[in-house]
Amino acid sequence: MTGNPVPPAEGWGESMQQVIDILRQAFDARGGNLATQTRDDFDHLFSAAGRLEPMLASGGRAIDRHELMNVLAAVRGYAEMLREDIGTQHSDFSDMLSALLTAVQGAQGSNSEPSFSPNRVIQSEPGFILAVDDGQENRELVARNLSRLGHFVITAASGEEALKALEHSDVDVVLLDLIMPGMDGREVLHRIKEHPEWRATPVIVISGSQDMDGIIECIEAGADDYLFKPFNPVLLQARIKAGIERKRWHDREEQYRQQLERNEKFIRATFGRYLSDEIVTDILERPEGLQLGGDLCRVSILMSDIRSFTSLSEHLAPGEVVSMLNRYLGRMTDIIMAHHGTIDEFVGDAILAVFGAPLHRDDDADRAVSCALAMQAAMDEINALNEADGLPAISTGIAVNTGDVIAGNIGSEKRSKYGFVGHPMNVTSRIEDQCAGGEILISDSTLKSLQGEAELGRSQSINVKGIDETILIHELKGMSP
Amino acid sequence: MSRPTVVLLVEDNELNREMMVRRLGRAGLEVLTAGDGAQALSVMAAEQPAVVLMDMNLPVMDGWTACRRAREDEAIRHIPIIALTAHAMEVDRQNALEAGCDDYATKPVDFPGLLIKIEKLTRK
Repeated sequence: MTGNPVPPAEGWGESMQQVIDILRQAFDARGGNLATQTRDDFDHLFSAAGRLEPMLASGGRAIDRHELMNVLAAVRGYAEMLREDIGTQHSDFSDMLSALLTAVQGAQGSNSEPSFSPNRVIQSEPGFILAVDDGQENRELVARNLSRLGHFVITAASGEEALKALEHSDVDVVLLDLIMPGMDGREVLHRIKEHPEWRATPVIVISGSQDMDGIIECIEAGADDYLFKPFNPVLLQARIKAGIERKRWHDREEQYRQQLERNEKFIRATFGRYLSDEIVTDILERPEGLQLGGDLCRVSILMSDIRSFTSLSEHLAPGEVVSMLNRYLGRMTDIIMAHHGTIDEFVGDAILAVFGAPLHRDDDADRAVSCALAMQAAMDEINALNEADGLPAISTGIAVNTGDVIAGNIGSEKRSKYGFVGHPMNVTSRIEDQCAGGEILISDSTLKSLQGEAELGRSQSINVKGIDETILIHELKGMSP
Repeated sequence: MSRPTVVLLVEDNELNREMMVRRLGRAGLEVLTAGDGAQALSVMAAEQPAVVLMDMNLPVMDGWTACRRAREDEAIRHIPIIALTAHAMEVDRQNALEAGCDDYATKPVDFPGLLIKIEKLTRK
């Protein structure tokens, strides 16, 4: 920080003399409407400003700097006082006073920050600025300065008000005075940086005292930038601009992240009910995405059915049927997912699941068969729960077949789902028809696809309806890898 | 109604002094004035103001000396002093605090900020 006072900005004299002249003309014409005290203050302002004229007339050659600073301080004091008194009642006068204050600030230079040409204006994308300051005149000064550049400015007179404002509006940049009665700026800063939605909002802290240690503390606490009072309007604009750009950048990033999240959610919602989590994650992580055409693939198909469920359900209340079915299907779904199977559909009490699509693995048949064994093993537990609820015991038959099917998004534009078609699907259904309760039947093609060692019971040939073909099927008792 | 807070403003420039008197008066304070450091000490002793606003560059006796003297004087050492310094240099701040000032404000004075300082120092 430099300690040397910086000389007044170039050309300040002319612009200040202009503002004073305009103000004097306006006062002569319309000053009669003002309160006596206010008129009195104007007289003092003009008499102080009158001391400036000889200095300005000398063209800056014979300026006693100490005297100049004293006169400027007096002009500034009266102008600030007048603007407080006038408030919004006479906006023409308060606008002129603000212009005068800007000119004075330009002439005073700044003790801590380089001065700029007062005519320079920083162009920026418009933003939503929250100015927090307990001093009314400071708030108004900032609001006027920034709204002239197209920013939308809301103000808060205390820390509490600032937090309320943040709750109700989507603020781009917070301009925060540190010293305020009640909740001070540091506390507001902490609250903003701890808040999950506000933490990305840039905060520019404003310090009235030249307290660098305090500023450093604030920057460590998450403040993005700082200004010392009285601040140069151009510097304020530049910092606001940088803050808005930072916020916009963050917003775009956030939007992109949310878009990705939505896409992922959509894919999970679409496939999640049919595919295990692991497969969905696999699909999401494949950069090319899943080609949803019709793919011919070799899969193992599992089909299960509760024996004589229709007649069983006739003796039960609808609510009992649904709760019994949900318990059964819920448990079975868990088991199929655990074996990385794809559930194609539930039809009443029947389950159709496929192993090997959309992702092929070498152990598709093995997992289908282990899945069937696990499903049968779970039946005792389900029946124990049924019995406790006064519901009848159930038994299921499961068929597993292996063959080539077409997998893809099947249906019309309006309604489609990932599904499977092909002869092996029908064959599986026929095998399933042969199952007794508690039994697992696998086709010879499945048996040949197994890597592990199957423990078999009886084998038999069956005729498949509609096709002139016999199929060899085996009763499965167990399996060792 | 309670008696308004009495402030002693020490400022040699009459233009600024007059402006500050009006402004402080508008803020509800009663203002006494002094034009140099020596005068300031005698007004402090006689009137016992609640707080002193002291310009540092004063004729006859400058602000630094006046502050040190005030701190050595039993009768007025308790009166808080806010130094009004011309620049915002760290040395100025240090000097003011070492001279026995309770707070300081940089010229041109941020008036609302100054009122807060006055309020803080006189509340006790």
